[in-house]
Amino acid sequence: MNRRQLLSAAGACCAQALARQVHAQAAGTDYAAPHRFGRPDVATDEGGLWSMMDREERSLRRSPLVLRDEKLVSYVQDICCRLGSEHCPDIRAYVVRTPLFNANMAPNGMMQVWTGLLLRVENEAQLAAVLGHEIGHYLQRHSVERLRDAKSKSALAQVLGAFGAVGALGQLAVAASAFAYGREHEREADRIGAYLMHQAGYDVAESAKVWSNLLQEVKAREGGDPAQTASLFATHPAPPERQADLEQIAKSLPGGSTGDDAFAERTRRFLDDWLQDEVKRGQYAESLVLLTRHIDHGKARELMTYYRGEVHRLRGEAGDQALALADYQAAAASLDPPAAAFRGIGLISRQQGQRSEAVEALTHYLDLAPDAPDAAFIKTYLAELTS
Amino acid sequence: MNKLLCAILILALSACATVKKIESGDNLVGERLSVTLDGAWNRLDFPSIKPAQIWTMEGVTIDEFLIYSGIHDGQVMHPEGPIGGKQRNFAFHSAMQTEEIVSMFEGVLCRDNSTFKLLKLEPYQFGGKKGFRFEYERIRKVDNVQLRGVGFGAVDRGELFAMIYDAPRLTFFPRYQSKVEAIARTAVIKAS
Ligand SMILES: [Zn+2]
Repeated sequence: MNRRQLLSAAGACCAQALARQVHAQAAGTDYAAPHRFGRPDVATDEGGLWSMMDREERSLRRSPLVLRDEKLVSYVQDICCRLGSEHCPDIRAYVVRTPLFNANMAPNGMMQVWTGLLLRVENEAQLAAVLGHEIGHYLQRHSVERLRDAKSKSALAQVLGAFGAVGALGQLAVAASAFAYGREHEREADRIGAYLMHQAGYDVAESAKVWSNLLQEVKAREGGDPAQTASLFATHPAPPERQADLEQIAKSLPGGSTGDDAFAERTRRFLDDWLQDEVKRGQYAESLVLLTRHIDHGKARELMTYYRGEVHRLRGEAGDQALALADYQAAAASLDPPAAAFRGIGLISRQQGQRSEAVEALTHYLDLAPDAPDAAFIKTYLAELTS
Repeated sequence: MNKLLCAILILALSACATVKKIESGDNLVGERLSVTLDGAWNRLDFPSIKPAQIWTMEGVTIDEFLIYSGIHDGQVMHPEGPIGGKQRNFAFHSAMQTEEIVSMFEGVLCRDNSTFKLLKLEPYQFGGKKGFRFEYERIRKVDNVQLRGVGFGAVDRGELFAMIYDAPRLTFFPRYQSKVEAIARTAVIKAS
């Protein structure tokens, strides 16, 4: 957005927004959102883009990967509304079950939030940081600008096909090169996102943490290709200086809440599913960083500890068995132990030849989870151990 | 959009795949696994799928029958290509426990960001050896189709023998499940 557009948009704003803007200007970050967008003429390039996204959205709506839980979806939708204010009616949030860090917003208002993102952020403010950034792209119609950039036209045409399927069939790289927003767009979306967060009452300092946390995870992977962990990196180049910029912006927009409790409460009962999906990625080094971070912050500690045990057990490198056992035992000793923690203790004890420990733990597992999918199989282990 | 991706997938597969008919009767897969078929199957042979073979009734974008014969210690499962992509490689190790082998298959089947849910794991005599059988459901990420699957396996002399079949849960899986179960029952892991 250039200066003139910014001014004319500001001029069209209501008094309240203007007042806010004066305050924000004083803080060194000014932004006035445009008014709601009308549906573009279908004969235009932008209209074509919308139609494609509408088609994509129709198929998304039918997808079994979309979470139907009303409470969770309306929670995410509400955050979008707080951030998008006037644009709230145009934003439609979908939570998609995919264990990668990603969110994206299409120009027609379809906002996809992947469960891998919800698993990674620590509070509502961090989620709002990512959503605010995406809404920033939307408000500035960056994807339309990309469409009109002749150099990227053929690449974008390719990506329009792949949009929403990022991650499938190793298409990430294609999508990354074609749909990546430029540095300027990224910086602008970051700035707007921070402003929207601030307006909505969130602590802007949380936005920088999103990136530092993610970078830690990515660095853990040997010869790591960030796009494989976080599709968001594929479409949003994220150099470390973005983190520094965001820290700088946060200083000029102080205050606000982090929303730790609300976020924990709304996501708690999905964590088990999301962690299962996470572990199955087989990216053990990354998962360990993620889980240890949550454990250190005291987030769902017993569950995170159990899954860290799983990651160690499945990785199976030297010393992993002992680490896994320690985590399973810690999880089992907690106030609300996951039944599977006893399964883990039993499996490892069995492998280590600790018969009585194995029998005790596996028996306890079956007592707690008699209908577990592997119950019949665990019984054969018990029969062997007691024979 | 999904149709487009399917088309790309089919193109990608057909570019390097040849289809061969597997006839009814006794068939040797690899060196030591024999199965008896009641009716023909189609085998797709493309380099990237080694060490597995892929068979299908309806076409590989619909149903998939993966057969592993004599996977040796340290061997990587589906190392390259459309199924492997750039995701993590999973390798078989002779010392793996049954639950670890099943986890390995889970990982392989999730590598394209599909979901996997284990429904059942039970003991099973496979190929004349003490083995396992598992059932699962999966949502295939590429086309959002809900699949049901069943797998069988056993380790003999440090080598893994297994078969996994999955297909759309409402139509094709029920149609072919009994065929697949019957094939698993005919499996014999030979001494040499
Ligand atoms: Zn961005």
